[in-house]
Order: sequence, then C-alpha cells, then structure tokens
Amino acid sequence: MSVEQACARHRALLLLVLTALLSACVAAPQTQRLQDAPPPNLANNEYLGFVPFFPQQLYQCGPAALATVLNAAAVRVTPDELVSQVYIPARQGSLQVEMLAAARRSERLAHEIPGTLDAVLGEVALERPVLVMQNLGLRLLPQWHYAVVVGYDLDRAEITLRSGTIRDYVLPMAVFERTWARAGHWAVVVLPSGEIPVSVSATDYFMAVAAFEFLHPQLSEAAWRAGMTRWPGSEILAMGMSNWLFRAGQVQESAIILKNLLEERPDYHPAQQNLTLIRQVLSESEVL
Amino acid sequence: MKSNTARSGSAWLLILVFVAGVIVQGPALAAPEGMVTTQQLMQEVQMSSQREAITGFLSREDIQSQLSARGVDVADAQARVAALGSAELATLAAQIDELPAGEGLLETTLFLLVIFMLLDIAGVTDIFPGI
Repeated sequence: MSVEQACARHRALLLLVLTALLSACVAAPQTQRLQDAPPPNLANNEYLGFVPFFPQQLYQCGPAALATVLNAAAVRVTPDELVSQVYIPARQGSLQVEMLAAARRSERLAHEIPGTLDAVLGEVALERPVLVMQNLGLRLLPQWHYAVVVGYDLDRAEITLRSGTIRDYVLPMAVFERTWARAGHWAVVVLPSGEIPVSVSATDYFMAVAAFEFLHPQLSEAAWRAGMTRWPGSEILAMGMSNWLFRAGQVQESAIILKNLLEERPDYHPAQQNLTLIRQVLSESEVL
Repeated sequence: MKSNTARSGSAWLLILVFVAGVIVQGPALAAPEGMVTTQQLMQEVQMSSQREAITGFLSREDIQSQLSARGVDVADAQARVAALGSAELATLAAQIDELPAGEGLLETTLFLLVIFMLLDIAGVTDIFPGI
C-alpha cells in the first residue's frame, strides 16, 4: 500500500473523464457478483441518514472523513481538531495508519474489514458507516481520496458516499469498486470498545483490540470480553483477555482463562508458558 | 493513649483508602519475564501475514515464469523468504503492495526491479549491494 495520500481536488471532473475512460476497459468483478447473486441476508437498500457531513476543506478529505465516522460513533470532534493528528501538509494528504491511530486516540477501535463489497454493505446494513480510501486517478497517476460509505441500493447498483464537498454522492457501484480497488480495497469501521464488525475474523479483531489496548488499557476490557463471547475457541483472543486480566491484577481469573484454553488446545505453547509463570506468581503471593 | 488511638485510626484510614483503590482500579501488574505479551502476539500475526503476502506473490504463475526464465530456483527463493526477519519482511511486503496489478511494458519493468530487490534481500542474487 502506498503511504502518502493527497486528496483529489477537481474530483468531479476527473471522475467523469475517468469513468468514461475506464468503464470501457476495466471490470468490476465484485459488483457483477453482487448483481448476479446478492447475499441472502442483505437488505436491498440502506441509507444512514444519521451520519453527519463535514465538507472537505481544500485537500483535507482525511480529517473530514475521519470526523464523519467518529461522530457517527458518538465522538464529538470536528475535522479541524483532527487536522494536526492526520494531515501532512507537504503530502497534501493523510496516512492510513495515522487515520487508524487517530480513531484510537478518540477512544474508538479502528477495525480494518475485508476488502469486499459484501463486507462493506454488510456493515452499512447494520448502521455502521464505512471509511474507505479510493484512488480516483490511475494507478500510475493516483488521486487519493478518503470518503465514507453511508448507503447502497442493490437494484440500482449504486453506492452513496459522504465525499469531498458533496453530502450525498451517489455513484454506480462499479465505478466505486474500481476506484476503491485501485486503493487496495481499504475499508475501516470505527466502533466503541465492546462492539464487533460483522465481517472481521478473530485475528483481525485481535489486532484492532491489541492496538487499542496499547493506548487505553482500562477501556479495552469490554473489547476482550466481547471477543471471547463471539469467538470462544480463539486462542489469540483468550491470550489477550488473560493478559489483560493479569495486568489488571486479576491473576486468578487470568489463570482460569489459560486453563480453559489449554483444555481445548493442550499443546498451545504461549498459553502453557504464561500459565506456568502465573502459577509462580500465585505461589509467591501465597507464601507472603 | 488518646494519640495512640488517633494514630491507629489514621493507619486504618490509610489501609482503607489503599484497599478501596485496589478494588476500584486494581493494581497494574507488570508482566513477568518470559510472559508472552499481547504486543508480541500482535507482531507475530503481522509477520505471518507479511510472509503469506510474499509467498503468495512468489507462487503466482507469471512471477514464477519470469523467475525461472532468469534461472532463479523458485523453491529456493521461497525457502529463503521463510527465513527472513521482521524488518526484511515488512520491506518486501510493502514493495509487493505497491506493485501495479495490470500488464504493460512499464509495469513489467517494475515487476522485474522488485523481484530482483526481493531476491537480493533473500540472498539469491546480488544486484543491489546496498540492500
């Protein structure tokens, strides 16, 4: 993934030209699949009217899009307040990793979801706006842009974005797919601790919580507990929960999680190692 | 006697405050040496996904044919990727991510450039002595 993203400025014109240029020769396989066989559980259309709109200032689509998803997750923040966290003037853009870090600084978890339209629309159907990156230009002449997916219509094959200076930017799903594919299908859902995106794996979720815990150890308990409930068999989430409990001084509880895990997976080495160490800590405290 | 009572009273108060603090917040324990931490597990996940990206790239038919055409043993390259450290893995995975996916003269040249950088790092070739 390329690192610097300058926002598209004359995007409307550019998009028009590129659409004409590209629709002739580039396929949109995911849109085609969605049209041929829509997922049975997915609503036909959805629009998240509650998601606020922050018109982009100059090149600052990063702060605007980030403020959009953060406010939708009940964080009161303006794009201006985020500029110092995510905007790099020399690049006229924002780094993806910094977008994720800024969401965490606002006490929200940033979940990278799978790069499929199914995943994106599935989150929107659950009233979760999805932060996306697009390349509105060409691979060799990129025009990077951040936007937020807030709606879709399967019958009309359209997607609705909060994008740039347009509140409801409705565009053909195939065009969205191509611009999104050229930015590596990057899609992010921003949620409070304890909520889980539908489309992520246990490992994806672990990564999001671990990064969050680094900044907000106290707030991450709910996230670990929710993960354990959703994926009771996940070794890595059990490890995260156990480590959290240990750090919080709940040593017995921490050991119990590992014991349960080892009953299912007796040869899981990290759990064996930690349980041995925790037992040492417990026996030392009994001596005292 | 009176001052004794007062002293033991304030001692109790201190203990009470301490206990209450522990109950409300819990003491933050440092992980003992040798404990597998959450941050370590996070790095392991990162490394294995980068390794997958690189081996996936080397498994592509178009890449394999370009490599064999230049006399590079693909299995050998794969084996060396398996032995790379975290910094090298991150460098390579980032380079592969930046590759254009389409075809074309310029893109083929870029492919080759990256392949050879990759193999330099993996110790198969030695075209870029700086790496």
